[in-house]
Amino acid sequence: MTSIGTGYDLSNSVFSPDGRNFQVEYAVKAAENGATSVGMKFKDGIVLAVEKLVTSKLLVPGKNKKIQTIDRHVGCAYSGLMPDGRHLVNRGREEASSFKKTYATPIPLPALADRLGQYVQAHTLYNSVRPFGITAIVGGVDDDGAHLYMLEPSGTYWGYKGAATGKGRQSAKAELEKVISNKPELDAREAVKEAARIIYLAHEDNKEKDFELEMSWCSISETNGLHKAVPKDLLDEAIAFAKAENGDDSDSDDSSDESENEKDNEKKDAEGDVQLE
Amino acid sequence: MAGLSFDNYQRNQFLAERSKTVPQATSTGTTIVGVKYDGGVLIAADTRSTQGPIVANKNCAKLHRISPKIWCAGAGTAADTEEVTKLIGSNLELHSMYASREPRVVSALQMLKQHLFKYQGHIGAYLIVAGADPTGTHLFSIHAHGSTDVGFYQSLGSGSLAAMAVLEANWRPDLKKEEAMQLASDAIEAGIWNDLGSGSNVDLCIMETGKDAEYLRNYRTPNVREAKQRSYKFPRGTTAVLSERVLDICQVEEETVDIELEA
Amino acid sequence: MNGIQVDINHLKKGEVSLGTSIMAVTFRDGVILGADSRTTTGAYIANRVTDKLTRVHEKVWCCRSGSAADTQAVADIVQHYLELYTAQFGEPSTKTAASIFKTLCYENKDNLTAGIIVAGYDEKNKGEVYSIPLGGSVHKQKYAIAGSGSTFIYGYCDKNYKENMSKDETVSFMKNSLSQAIKWDGSSGGVIRMVVLTKDGAERLIFYPEDYENL
Repeated sequence: MTSIGTGYDLSNSVFSPDGRNFQVEYAVKAAENGATSVGMKFKDGIVLAVEKLVTSKLLVPGKNKKIQTIDRHVGCAYSGLMPDGRHLVNRGREEASSFKKTYATPIPLPALADRLGQYVQAHTLYNSVRPFGITAIVGGVDDDGAHLYMLEPSGTYWGYKGAATGKGRQSAKAELEKVISNKPELDAREAVKEAARIIYLAHEDNKEKDFELEMSWCSISETNGLHKAVPKDLLDEAIAFAKAENGDDSDSDDSSDESENEKDNEKKDAEGDVQLE
Repeated sequence: MAGLSFDNYQRNQFLAERSKTVPQATSTGTTIVGVKYDGGVLIAADTRSTQGPIVANKNCAKLHRISPKIWCAGAGTAADTEEVTKLIGSNLELHSMYASREPRVVSALQMLKQHLFKYQGHIGAYLIVAGADPTGTHLFSIHAHGSTDVGFYQSLGSGSLAAMAVLEANWRPDLKKEEAMQLASDAIEAGIWNDLGSGSNVDLCIMETGKDAEYLRNYRTPNVREAKQRSYKFPRGTTAVLSERVLDICQVEEETVDIELEA
Repeated sequence: MNGIQVDINHLKKGEVSLGTSIMAVTFRDGVILGADSRTTTGAYIANRVTDKLTRVHEKVWCCRSGSAADTQAVADIVQHYLELYTAQFGEPSTKTAASIFKTLCYENKDNLTAGIIVAGYDEKNKGEVYSIPLGGSVHKQKYAIAGSGSTFIYGYCDKNYKENMSKDETVSFMKNSLSQAIKWDGSSGGVIRMVVLTKDGAERLIFYPEDYENL
């Protein structure tokens, strides 16, 4: 441990002399080590995709959903400590429902992101709590169109065209940038395929582990502004596309993959491999 | 003891039980008016205060200062108009110091109506609020339950009907200051003469932008008591002495008693 | 009073009331609010030129009926809430305004005498009318009438209202309706005030007795 003896990493509400809050930085590590999550904006909506690492052969495939719905028009995916994410989503649901109760209209995404940001930030202030060990991607559609936000353990949130977090975020981000600059006018179905491809690509560095792809979307044209799981047929199509694009002939969905197709691990994630002692 | 005293509560309950007449608050069964004119606004009031059928005060002041250029005429319960006006006046001064701005009539209005609404009519203050502020001259009326009205002329109190008759007949938008003073005074006089609850004199307060408020106490005194034709002071010796007799009212007897003390 | 039934028939003693004729009507370009101008305390007309059409946001207004004090207090609070809403989230919808009115009227129903019509215009939903009667329920309507004078014109309005009228048609429909309401209701009178809410903003209209009495 680098900072043994300084004591500045023990308490949540204490700054180090150079103005850092170590507890928050550790929380970021927790998020960065989690399974990859990706969110992408397209013409009239957003798509969320997560890499679900299969921790046991006994788990039922296709069940155990990781992406959650905050309100009918808002979805949320996160990397890091799953229970922290579920707690944040619960809070988001409370905020959304209280907004709808007083104003009779669904909560606008900027407002929801702001309220969640304040809630997460409050967990960096007090001794009795710890920060959220997640980075959450919140996306959806409201009166002003599609929105995508990524919320960090410090409470910071930014609006994105494409967002990625978790272990494979570096390669995912690089790919998102390419997709967004090359095809700015993606439609919903194209975006779903691209998101699938990016998750498969981001998984390349972590190939020894088996995973399942989970995706949801929220678009005006395809889901009438509601946040929904991507239907089975489109999901299968997206997976096939992802595998073909990544030049992967093996099937990582059904069988564990031993054949090391060790290409060049170009964008190896340096930070993602930090060991916590 | 700190806090509110409820000492009189039991007494009042007792009084109410024992007799049909409950102690009534002094009410300014009143005539008050406000008039806007070309270049300013003024308010006026009579000076009679009553307790039931008794005139409690022949020359009371019903024009209250909320701030130097915002004045208020009060009808209803005398104590309430006085106190609510002082309270809001004080809060308005604090507010104007905090904001480093001259107090505004709309601020006074909003503070008064919110205070009165909170008390659901139990504070029996019926007010005409007027004044000059950086946004111009303004005239409003407020009822005890907290409702407010805007207008070029207003009248309130038991004599308001008589006063309104005068205002409705003679008000014009291009009234000059002197004409407005005349009109307001005439309206109050209508109350003084025709309403039993109103009487005595007319008080006036004139407010114009950029000028100090002019408070004219007893601007009109149409009820000056005639000098007595005859005096009831009798010179010494008016009563004749028919006979004189001095009596000792009590007689004092003194007696000394010796008590023997045994050794 | 048991929470279900509300004592509607008595105002607090000496309270100023808006024994009123009010209405709001959606039309082609937006919505128009209308009202008489009489305020009474018992048999006395406390104000003959009252403005019962109250702004709570640029293009969301309301017609007030019932107790003057109660409806002014409620409208002031809603105006305040909408100001905060605008600062945080941008322009509120008419529905949102109606929802805030409803919350106040419903949760304080035992202490309020307030019958309010909320009407507003926004780019997405165009003209909308929400009626909030005594108990605090909300009713979205093409047009709404309320107040003591409205009882006399239910039939007239039902027969003569048409969807998608022009501004002039609507103004004339409302002038005729309110004229009859004022004629037959002793607690209504004075001038007819109107506020036209369209994409171009709010426009005020006023009609004097000689303009509406002998239509």
